[in-house]
Amino acid sequence: MTLTLALPSKGRLKEQAIERFAQVGLQVQLPTDPRSYRGRIEGPLPIDVVFLSASEIAQELGQGSVDLGVTGEDLVRETLANWEVHVSIEARLGFGAADVVVAVPDVWLDVETMADLDDVAAEFRQRHGRRLRIATKYWRLTQQFFSLKHGIQVYRIVESLGATEGAPAAGLADVIVDITSTGSTLTANHLRVLSDGIILRSQACLVASKRARSDEDAKALTQVAKLLA
Amino acid sequence: MTLAETILSRFAAEGIGLAEVPILQPADPFLDMAGEDLRRRIFLTQSETGESLCLRPEFTIPVCLDHIARQAGTPRRYAYLGEVFRQQRDSGTEFLQAGIEDLGEADVAQADARSIADAWRLLRAALPNQSLAVTIGDQAVFESVLAALGLPRGWQMRLLRAFGSPAMLQAALADLANPPKRRSLGTSIARIVAARDVEALAGFVEARMNETGLSPAAGRSPTEIARRLIDKAELGAVRLADEAFEALRQFLSIRVPLSQAPAALQQFADEADLVLDTALEQFSRRAEAVGAEAVESDAVLYDASFGRPLDYYTGLVFEIRAENDARSLVGGGRYDRLLTMLGAADPIPGVGFSVWLDRVEALRGVTP
Repeated sequence: MTLTLALPSKGRLKEQAIERFAQVGLQVQLPTDPRSYRGRIEGPLPIDVVFLSASEIAQELGQGSVDLGVTGEDLVRETLANWEVHVSIEARLGFGAADVVVAVPDVWLDVETMADLDDVAAEFRQRHGRRLRIATKYWRLTQQFFSLKHGIQVYRIVESLGATEGAPAAGLADVIVDITSTGSTLTANHLRVLSDGIILRSQACLVASKRARSDEDAKALTQVAKLLA
Repeated sequence: MTLAETILSRFAAEGIGLAEVPILQPADPFLDMAGEDLRRRIFLTQSETGESLCLRPEFTIPVCLDHIARQAGTPRRYAYLGEVFRQQRDSGTEFLQAGIEDLGEADVAQADARSIADAWRLLRAALPNQSLAVTIGDQAVFESVLAALGLPRGWQMRLLRAFGSPAMLQAALADLANPPKRRSLGTSIARIVAARDVEALAGFVEARMNETGLSPAAGRSPTEIARRLIDKAELGAVRLADEAFEALRQFLSIRVPLSQAPAALQQFADEADLVLDTALEQFSRRAEAVGAEAVESDAVLYDASFGRPLDYYTGLVFEIRAENDARSLVGGGRYDRLLTMLGAADPIPGVGFSVWLDRVEALRGVTP
């Protein structure tokens, strides 16, 4: 068998991943047909490459249908229940840095910390006849952070698959949990990250599936991980 | 007799009818009441029209909803017996539960005692030779301690929410002893806050909302934000006195047999120089009523720190375990806010319990 590696299929993440592999002597041969989603790394460590969207990569790694993948830590932790059981993070690759954060309308002058938000959430139903609403595509990370870490039980998640930062102004949610790299999108939308509202500092990672594999493949996988660590 | 037969005959002996609760339930009431954390633990699905449905994760909420919908008279007791469905538990996904919900009984102390006694008799019938241990807690007593200590309302609420979770309570107390540093809001706002001018501050917030395209009517209102900011500024200047900390610590460490609990609480109140009369009176009436029921009185322990961090629990909470087993066989409590939150027009008090029958069945296998 040959190892399979899933790389992001487009954008900066794709370029940076290919570049990072090239730096350690693993040249990704891009498909000659630009519409194809398969590539190859030749040499002493031959690897089949598939190009997928970053969230699909997390999914496929969890199911064990690829051996290795490059994807964000946020997507690994969000997409997979008990992620440590199914995959391991072999290397943090130094690009694609972004934080998953809790942000509130900047005009909420009285809300600076999660404890403040806890206060607001607790009284929200009584004041407004509904629970505090959080717009996010990060269900799992939001629940873990609010419920398990901060003991905040009473809120509702509103699924948001794009332009989450616009949800408060659109009246769809009160606060958001979203990913941000520079914070400029949040600022432009008059949102502010809580002082203890950083859920995860994420970056692109080399992730290995914990599926069973031959000794030979396992050795090759360890070598690739060592090169990129 | 099988376990189910034993339980149904207990219900019949009490003269309580069985509630009919469909397995497929609208999911929103559960998520609204118990919070999003429940989402990971229930089985969700969708109807063709997009309505969120779930497999019944428990009985209390559907029984209450049905009671409200039928505008049934009170007081009324409902019994149930059937499967509940949960994910991510140590074993399995289907569990058999039975229980009794008691809605609208005005004599709260009597109703509490009857709920504990019903649960006790049910377990006794199912496990005649098993040593059982009942633990009870009471949020109302904690609430009255906080009020008697003269804590600002904001602090009372925060501590109350943490009741039942030692880690959360620790974190809240640490914050109160040493409030986190506040960011600077700029001199113009700071001046309005210092003057405690709610109206001016609300005006400022509303103007900012309009500038930034946030509707002042959709969520938190300008007045709400202004008021809380001013409250917070005042709280930041107050420190919790050492004696108050010590009193809280003392209170939370009380663990005595229920029969001795009224005296222990009175002694605590006297030593800390706190007036807890109303809450203690209720507590003593309930303790007496439990004593009058056929519950083995030395099997009942009062633990002052025992609570459940859910906002519809209001007073009594209790659990029953087999001796030397950490898992509870019965969980119960008083939920006087639940029916209003579910849409009842008038307040309806409620108390109830549920039994984890699979755990009981497992014990029936091992005890003689």
